[in-house]
Amino acid sequence: MLFNSFEFFAFLPLVFLLYWGLGVSRLRSQNILLLVASYIFYGWWDWRFLSLILFSTLVDYTVGLLLGRTQAPGRRKVLLWCSIAVNLGLLGFFKYYNFFVDSFADAFSFFGYPLGETWTLNIILPVGISFYTFQTLSYTIDVYRRQLEPTRDFIAFAAFVSFFPQLVAGPIERASQLLPQIASPRKLRYGQWVDGLLLILWGLFKKVAIADSLGMIVDDIFAHHTEQGGLVLLMGAVLFGFQIYGDFSGYSDIAIGTAKLFGIELMSNFRFPYFSRNISEFWHRWHISLSTWFRDYLYIPLGGSRLGKGKALRNIFIIFLVSGFWHGANWTFLIWGGIHACLYVPLFIGGQNRSFVGSVIGERNGWPTLREVGQTLLTFLLVSLAWIYFRAPSLAEANAYLGGIFSRWEWTPYHHPMGYRMWDYAVLLLFFVAYEYGIRRDERRPIPFRSRLLRWSVAIVLLFGLLLFYQSGTDRSFIYFQF
Amino acid sequence: MRPLLHLAKKLILFTAVTLLVLEALVRIFHLYKDTPARFVDAREVEKWRPGQHGYAVTGNRRQNFSEYRINASGYNSAREYTPDADTLEIALVGDSFIEGFHQDYQASIGRKMEARLPGVQVYEYGYAGYDLADELHLLQAYREDFQNIDYTLIYLKFPDDLQRSTYQVSYDRLRLETGPYRLLKMSKLVVYLQNIGLMSAARNAVSQGMAALRPTPPPAGPAPAPEAQKARYLENLQALLEQYPVDTTKTAFLLDSRNAPEEVLHILGQQGIAYLDYGPALAGSATPVTLIYDQHWNDHGREILADTLSAWVALRLRR
Repeated sequence: MLFNSFEFFAFLPLVFLLYWGLGVSRLRSQNILLLVASYIFYGWWDWRFLSLILFSTLVDYTVGLLLGRTQAPGRRKVLLWCSIAVNLGLLGFFKYYNFFVDSFADAFSFFGYPLGETWTLNIILPVGISFYTFQTLSYTIDVYRRQLEPTRDFIAFAAFVSFFPQLVAGPIERASQLLPQIASPRKLRYGQWVDGLLLILWGLFKKVAIADSLGMIVDDIFAHHTEQGGLVLLMGAVLFGFQIYGDFSGYSDIAIGTAKLFGIELMSNFRFPYFSRNISEFWHRWHISLSTWFRDYLYIPLGGSRLGKGKALRNIFIIFLVSGFWHGANWTFLIWGGIHACLYVPLFIGGQNRSFVGSVIGERNGWPTLREVGQTLLTFLLVSLAWIYFRAPSLAEANAYLGGIFSRWEWTPYHHPMGYRMWDYAVLLLFFVAYEYGIRRDERRPIPFRSRLLRWSVAIVLLFGLLLFYQSGTDRSFIYFQF
Repeated sequence: MRPLLHLAKKLILFTAVTLLVLEALVRIFHLYKDTPARFVDAREVEKWRPGQHGYAVTGNRRQNFSEYRINASGYNSAREYTPDADTLEIALVGDSFIEGFHQDYQASIGRKMEARLPGVQVYEYGYAGYDLADELHLLQAYREDFQNIDYTLIYLKFPDDLQRSTYQVSYDRLRLETGPYRLLKMSKLVVYLQNIGLMSAARNAVSQGMAALRPTPPPAGPAPAPEAQKARYLENLQALLEQYPVDTTKTAFLLDSRNAPEEVLHILGQQGIAYLDYGPALAGSATPVTLIYDQHWNDHGREILADTLSAWVALRLRR
């Protein structure tokens, strides 16, 4: 079920009313309802893959209980590796099996030993598998590290793994943050519901008005990149930057907003990443739940920056490459991760990787300094160019696209594939960037005004924008569903 | 439960205010499409109610915004139709391509032809959804008018216009004039949502949900073979021409040979009916001849059509 579908708009109020109708004292019933609703939400796409979620849930629940009963370090380690093997095994089989078989065959062909027919499988990638496997892994690792007590409440644990607002595309929640909320009674909070509804509206605006409407232009430019001038190609890369931001952060906002309706707070996933003043700040603001997951469960266990510069650089490259590869079984994602690692390393060496932590652009008087404008534009440009590898279907296409930007440095008139005025999109993006700048201090309150008139006016303008840029007949699924 | 009631009250109020403001915005920016009312006249011809005018709007943000004017005869035209023996008149009979709601009525093919043929009046009998049965029935129902018209061009699109072999009033379109539809049309916001495809998305979701509850229907039988279908269209053409004979001395068909099979041209030839093939003229254009967002001719396409039609008709009128 998509957040931007009519099915969801029938499903959500129904579950909301049933959930609160049960009463705040009936926690177990509420959790059973959340679990059933989550399984319906996921099964709407393909019920057969529910068995994978259930299997993953059972494995980690059991491993958690066994870890709670076992003190022997060796046995605990075996249990941990069982969970890691099962979860990453599932992920590896569905997501990476064909990639490794093909790459293996290509390598043999390259050295003059073609393998002929390879054993690739005709399998589809279960939606959300990269997200929920990481979430359940976080539980087992936290229990292993004794940072979290194993839960005995199977229903609460299953609801934590499959909690529908964030099941298919995150934020990837830590068990230590989400599980206690599910295991304890929630309170009826009117303010929390209103915040949730406003986040849902803002997320929908980003998804429908920004991401979906720009998607058509981006698809057109990437599909016909050999016929376009360099500046149009650059525009395509920049617009893809807005598209993927609108798509993924829009999804996250709807997820966080929906969770609020059930009295649950999810972690923030985006903090206005395009107002970052360097790549390091960008990674503190983009897909936060994934980057902090890799920091806590990969970078730090590898030694982080404690073991000297050399090992720290190695660890930086590892997490950026793994992060790229997490997105998909394609060399393009590895290169994308590699580019970001290369951009990050100079900041790390120069000690500037934490220069902007805890501050926002225009901190002093609301207006950015010229230096900040330059830094932000440069960061945005670098991120946009790197997106080309993320968006292109193959390395050859990405290289040709990037080459086209520099070799055909000219403006060729560009017309929208459906005949829409391109100025409309310029105005839309100008409004969007200016508004986001205005609310950049708090990503969880997109309409932060005290005046009710102003709040309602902004909400109505967003709804009007949704209508003006709604595209019927386009594929409205979220980009991150494929990961 | 108090917070729930409070939320419900606020949501109802917000929804009501939002709907009102959106209705006002849609009206202020005229984002909605005006649709004239239709009816079936005493001669059983479906047409627009005379004397209406408005704007045809395409897309969410007025990608196309064109004025229409329904004349006293019930067709979109800058001109009133008063054929007589003293004036040279040409009739264009067809569907939405001739009706031209996607263009300003002052820039129609007929107006462009009049600019090329001084002293000639062009009557555009276009109505979206007309097929050949509608067109030939119109010629017969208003035969006294068409007797006075000096030349008639009938638009024929294969196979869309040959789905039936005889004329009957089609009540499907007229359902849009019934009470509930008329009521819904009073809200311009509803019209706008319908135009941008949001209502159909909602309807599809509901019908998919309903279909999931119903037992699976038995699989449909195999589709008829393409050759059998083509034979049926050709039979329909033959039956219609026999049922509604046309004056071959001053009537011709307007068609695109890229879509019409040889057999259509052969049947017309057998009946002694001339045809004007506008396909090559459009195909020869280096720039697009149709709109981006639908298949109708754009202004450049209409210029080419006007050139082609004017040259062809001028030759026939001179004879």
